Amino acid sequence: MMRRILTVALPTAALLGFSSQASAQENQLTGPLAGAPAVRGLRLHRKQRFEIAPAVSFTLLDEYQRHILLGARLTYNVTDWLGLGAWGAFGAVKQTTGLSDRIQDANDQRFNPRSPNFTTGQESTGRTLVRANIGKDFKQQLATINWIFSPQITAVPFRGKLSLFQKIFVDTDAYFFAGPAFVNLRERADCGGSSGVDCAAREGSGPDPGNVRPAATKATASRMAIAPTFGLGLSFYTGQWTSFGLEWRALMYSANTGGFDIAGGGEGGRFPDGKVDKSDREFKFNQMITVSFGMQFPRTIKQSD
Amino acid sequence: MIVFATTGNFRLDKKANNGDLVVECAKRVEVACHLVRAPLLEPCRVKPSIQGQPDTSRTVRKGYRMNQGRMGLLVAAALLAVPATASAQKPGKGAKPPAGATDKPADKADEKKPEDKPAGGADAKPADAPAADAPAADAPKGEDPSAGGICDLDPSQCPQVDFDAAASKPIPAQMYAVQQLYALRVRRVEVNPYWSFSLNDQFVSHPAPGMAINYYVTNVLAVGVNGTWYRPFGSNLNQDSAFNAQTRRAARVGVPLTEYDWSAALNFTYVPVYGKFAGFGDFIFHYDAYIVGGLGMLSNRPIAVIDPDNRTFDSKAHLAFNAGLGLRIFFNRWFAAVGEVRNYVFQDQLEATTIARDKAATDKATWYGDKPITVNVQAQVGLAIFLPFSWEYRLPK
Repeated sequence: MMRRILTVALPTAALLGFSSQASAQENQLTGPLAGAPAVRGLRLHRKQRFEIAPAVSFTLLDEYQRHILLGARLTYNVTDWLGLGAWGAFGAVKQTTGLSDRIQDANDQRFNPRSPNFTTGQESTGRTLVRANIGKDFKQQLATINWIFSPQITAVPFRGKLSLFQKIFVDTDAYFFAGPAFVNLRERADCGGSSGVDCAAREGSGPDPGNVRPAATKATASRMAIAPTFGLGLSFYTGQWTSFGLEWRALMYSANTGGFDIAGGGEGGRFPDGKVDKSDREFKFNQMITVSFGMQFPRTIKQSD
Repeated sequence: MIVFATTGNFRLDKKANNGDLVVECAKRVEVACHLVRAPLLEPCRVKPSIQGQPDTSRTVRKGYRMNQGRMGLLVAAALLAVPATASAQKPGKGAKPPAGATDKPADKADEKKPEDKPAGGADAKPADAPAADAPAADAPKGEDPSAGGICDLDPSQCPQVDFDAAASKPIPAQMYAVQQLYALRVRRVEVNPYWSFSLNDQFVSHPAPGMAINYYVTNVLAVGVNGTWYRPFGSNLNQDSAFNAQTRRAARVGVPLTEYDWSAALNFTYVPVYGKFAGFGDFIFHYDAYIVGGLGMLSNRPIAVIDPDNRTFDSKAHLAFNAGLGLRIFFNRWFAAVGEVRNYVFQDQLEATTIARDKAATDKATWYGDKPITVNVQAQVGLAIFLPFSWEYRLPK
């Protein structure tokens, strides 16, 4: 009897132990992954390599004028996740927005003797009111970016791969960058007040008894704005030493984008004061999208363990 | 004494069949039966088998007898020993079935693979040879000699394997860049609350909350709806930029503006891109990218700028097409962050930039001007919750 009990009891106990062991076995199967690196054999596209990346940047949400900037980014990647470098670009193409064209058209009509509204009192008042703000060629008074130079630090926290239709695989990394930016701007020059320049100076010379002469094209001046810049981007590595890049950048600085007298007078300085100066600059979160083609040197690539 | 070595899950049954001890191994069991001076009363029969393959039962020793109690103890001890042995084995080795599980005789299998011959040359013996010789013939290829068991009991039976030669064998395994979809989407519902804001309207920004609900017909294709509410609960989230007023004052040029009320659309989503990223070289997170497009309505109305004294506009719904791109980053298998850029294209209705004279100024027919095609580019940032939360993969990883 005892033997029969043992015969039944021991296998039962063994089976119970078997279940717990099986669970433990399952854990052990995944156990070797514990402590292992997240990625093995990672292609180190950045580590101890220089990157030269010609780039084209497009400004976003412009009020009066859009910019296309041509430039390049130079980066030395100390590690695969940290790089030091600089980005520079100049304003190669400047294109007015629809609003600027509309303002230009309205101003042309305002000072056009053949316009049906030319002789009305409303237009005459309009001519008087806008002379301080709009010159004959409105485009010439808009704030423009001459060039930008920005030393920057780049952090690459995310590295992976991209699968497109399970057919195309591209090494990809996502990076953040930040640094100071030196922005060389050209915007309307100061006038009125102590500057001794008449903001509403008319084209030509002599008196204007009929109030018919438009204002002269406004003078502009260059200045340097120092602004923080930051952004994020993606690099798509097409080979051992080539890549495509797409990044978004923010630049925060103040500018008088339209060249208007909009502030400095009245309560809280929120009304025109007859002068154009720094009080008319508005702080703006300037944004741009950059497309680049990167080349990494040396051209041979290393792999992690 | 019976020693079992195994690399997979299995089941052992003890049957009293004509006095024989029959051990059935359900799957991928590599069995070595070794008898060491045990006074067995009944013949020991070991029956390794693999599901779906013929059994190759063999009698390993006759002439010994053992009472039932001792058999039970031995089987119990074997059962306890088996999982521990299995755990100790390196992964992957168990994928090869035992020689005895094939239709080929053990000696033939070994003739083709001389490097797998165990020491002692026992492979030349027939399959029904005594148990003392059988383990060598049945020893699994690639068995680790240091795994204990047979090697400790009888070094002459310890299998010898050229690991360098074994490692150099090509492995025709198909490798995928992404072995298994981290989060299956098929037959799941995605609930996606989001916050949207306009990217291309410098005159009036249109921030608003919204919600999208998508049902994934396949892993890459979904049908769903989304809606955005720009004036929730009587408030108005549309923001007229300060520079509009400045421009009107400085240049005496009014720009017609519109504010949005709501939008709703039926959409199709296609997910052609998915992958994974390593964060800080330490953790892996998964993402996918998708294309979305659809058809719906967008309700808006002009903001009275040119003649605010007389004009008050009502909202009108316009047919709106939309198309966009999105990126989804998974925190776990049912919770993700979503970023999306969506273009809503519709025929707008702007305020007239001229004012009719006298009483005609109050006539609504004179209030409306151009009907341009408007492209409203919105960024939508939100969360995605997939329901149900869990699922089962059709195939193992």
